[in-house]
Amino acid sequence: MNCYLFKGTRKGLMIAIAAVAVGLGAGVGVLWTTGDVKADSGLSPGFIKGTNPAKPDPKMIEEGKKIYFRKCVWCHGVDGGGDGPGADRLWPRPRNFNQGTFKIRHTASGELPLFDPTKPVAGQNDLFDTVTHGLPGSAMPPWDGILTEQQRLQVLSFVTTQLVKDRKFDDKTETFSILDLNNKDAMKKVAYSKESIEKGAKLVVDKKCVECHGTEGRGDGNPFNLKDDWGFPIQPADWHKCWNFRGSREEPYKIETIFRTMSTGVNGTPMPSFADNTTVEERWHIANFVNSVCEREKDGDPFSKQLQMDPQTAKPKTNFVVPSAPIEGEIPADPNDKKWQDRPRRIIGMGGQITHKPRNFVNRIDDIWVRSMYNKNEIAFLIQWDDRTKSQVEPGVAVVPIEEAPPVAGEANSIAAKQNTYTVYNDAVAIQFPAKWQEYAPPEKPRYLHGEEKRHVDLWKWEADGTLKAYAGSGWDKPLEERPGATEKLKLVKGEFKDGRWTVLMKRPLHTDDKDADVQFETGKYIPTVFFAWDGHNGDAGLKMAVSAFYYTILEPPVPIEAKVYPILMAVGMIIAEGWILRRRATKKETMKRK
Amino acid sequence: MTALKLVEGYMPVQMLIEMGGLALLFIWSFYLLDKKMGIKVNKLAQATGLFLFSIIYFRFRIYPPIPFSVQAIYATMTLIGIFMWVSSTETSWQDFRQPLIAVVDAKTPTTQIIRAVSVVLLPFLVGFLGWNNMKPSIDEPIELRTVHPAPPASTKVHGKTFVLQTASNPYRVDDDGKYSDMVQKKYIDGNPWDEKAPPYMQYVREGGQIFFQNCHFCHGDNLNGRGMFAFAFNPIPANFTDAGTIAQLQETFVFWRVSKGGIGLPREGFPWASVMPPWEQHLTIDEIWKVILFEYWHTGYYPRTWD
Repeated sequence: MNCYLFKGTRKGLMIAIAAVAVGLGAGVGVLWTTGDVKADSGLSPGFIKGTNPAKPDPKMIEEGKKIYFRKCVWCHGVDGGGDGPGADRLWPRPRNFNQGTFKIRHTASGELPLFDPTKPVAGQNDLFDTVTHGLPGSAMPPWDGILTEQQRLQVLSFVTTQLVKDRKFDDKTETFSILDLNNKDAMKKVAYSKESIEKGAKLVVDKKCVECHGTEGRGDGNPFNLKDDWGFPIQPADWHKCWNFRGSREEPYKIETIFRTMSTGVNGTPMPSFADNTTVEERWHIANFVNSVCEREKDGDPFSKQLQMDPQTAKPKTNFVVPSAPIEGEIPADPNDKKWQDRPRRIIGMGGQITHKPRNFVNRIDDIWVRSMYNKNEIAFLIQWDDRTKSQVEPGVAVVPIEEAPPVAGEANSIAAKQNTYTVYNDAVAIQFPAKWQEYAPPEKPRYLHGEEKRHVDLWKWEADGTLKAYAGSGWDKPLEERPGATEKLKLVKGEFKDGRWTVLMKRPLHTDDKDADVQFETGKYIPTVFFAWDGHNGDAGLKMAVSAFYYTILEPPVPIEAKVYPILMAVGMIIAEGWILRRRATKKETMKRK
Repeated sequence: MTALKLVEGYMPVQMLIEMGGLALLFIWSFYLLDKKMGIKVNKLAQATGLFLFSIIYFRFRIYPPIPFSVQAIYATMTLIGIFMWVSSTETSWQDFRQPLIAVVDAKTPTTQIIRAVSVVLLPFLVGFLGWNNMKPSIDEPIELRTVHPAPPASTKVHGKTFVLQTASNPYRVDDDGKYSDMVQKKYIDGNPWDEKAPPYMQYVREGGQIFFQNCHFCHGDNLNGRGMFAFAFNPIPANFTDAGTIAQLQETFVFWRVSKGGIGLPREGFPWASVMPPWEQHLTIDEIWKVILFEYWHTGYYPRTWD
């Protein structure tokens, strides 16, 4: 290209090219827009014009139908209405294909997603990407490795032509405006930096993101009144759990994912597109900020190490050891104290209790964070978890665990329809240790769910009404037994709800007199630990709750003096050995020379 | 996941044969390099290479991983073997010693630098290894669990006794209602939602409905053990698409496991940790048989038979 072309402003050149492209009727051509000016074409900044996808081959549709009725029908239903048998106990509900409303797209708000039955290319085929990677935070699994690329295209050919009923992908009135993330000129990505995050923090307030997503982005802004296009309750995303963002499976911390969602909006939900009321630059700042609040190794530090994901589940990797560190002096009562902030925190994965009735199919607390420390008298646990609602039972309301309903077909009776209609109970969290854990030969221990008849557990339960009580558990089918004597030894230091997060700090003496029923804490031992959590707005009470796997609390022993001295002695020994070898060799050479 | 089949379930004999074979191959290839191509590789380099290879082998080739202490024992034995090999002939031993001696004598600038650096670094390395070994550790404990424990002779569900040797799935039936091992094969590509589906396919559909209202939360929408709640639990939910689960079990064994759940496991199966529900608390006998029928049809595996 001749250089003089660039003598005019670059912007002018771009607009000229855009005009020519429009003049040619665009179609196949690429439409350039510039900066933050909305071009004449009606496209928002950063978008280019696309075309209707190729029509799938009838054979592909036929093959796709077979796959659909083997793999997909169970949730998405015979007619694609999102009403298969699985839908009765799922929230969010499976997608209803009929309206052609899809969440994860590169196309402008309200438009159909990108789909091309001939092109399994990541980033250019939205539906293909969704099927390949699944939708984290929902029941939709990744089909990569289960269905071949060809099979995925086939089943999508069936869905887009036969089950999407209200709109047609080949209808010429459908527009496809594509967010062109690869266009470096139009995108001008802003690097992840302190300045950008600060700008983003201001923008999420200006652009009213926080009204739904909450002051700290924990999805607690407007958790009750939001509905999706089908009238089912829906909750705003919790920015602190980026691994639950739909469309984020490959790389939860990818900033482009957030930028894309903001630019395209999420069809079928109250989440609008911000393509027209923010500039591209502003959107990068917001994306950087939203990414910065996603949990990392250090609480609240956007530059600490990102959490490692378990490749099989695409959730943060768990470590089954909860270390408790020895400290001198008082255990700080403030969770923001440096001593607490310096403690490593452990993420505890939580699943719904679905072993015994009443089962908890919609589990609203999927992880909690735990830190621990001890001094010569006491041990303390600092537990924090995200909860969109502060729930406290009204005075006079009896807490009766919800009876498990049989699965009834029909949207009105589904679990999704019942959300936000439950009687509100207390939010709560509990830690369970085996009583007399010393007597079991590892790995043997009392059962995770409140122990067994002859193998009791010591359970500490905090509830949102400010109570912290000790209970004895003797099996899942027996009621927990309150233990007032043990309750007196427990001390609640803090139980606070702020911006969608509970912080509960509790203490107990390391040793007590009741050695049969109270857990005794010894240093350097693996003490089996189970966590339970309840969301009062989910009707959680009794066994309807979230449970963890077995973890181990370990009181880190102070470093023994031998561990400090012996390595030094070994190093000194090595120096002596080196001297001896070098000397011996030198002498030997000397003798050899003389000979 | 991996194209290379791992040494599974820690089988020492397989490991010994494989490791021995690989070591011979290693030595032989250096012998060939020397004799056929005239490339002489120093014995010290060969020995170091072989030792590093063995460490990598013990660390990554065996699954589930063996504890570090066992790895250390194996590595020590390998080291002894390597020393016997390099010191087997005088020339070999001289070749092995030569680079070491050269460094100690330090006659060239290069060896002088190497000597200086090693003299300084070695004590630190030894001190660090000692510290690493002696400092209090808080690693996750290794707990080995029996995944498929020995089944009982019979099991009682909803008041009815099932003898595992003789019971069979009452819904694995051909169009005329008779038990058939072949019916699954016949309808493996069928559509259970077809209105004119034969009885077997209708049972598969009913089983699928039960699966997707009860089981998928853990075992996953594609039956691979990665449901929505799977990440939170340990042991992880069974992967039915894996050849090591329902594919190698009798249908009655699966019936016993499903009915009695985690709490009904013998001690070696860690009944205290499993969240698998005793499904007799939630489902009828018929529903349990149907969901098992569905799991086999969906994965395309056949139950193991008694012969």
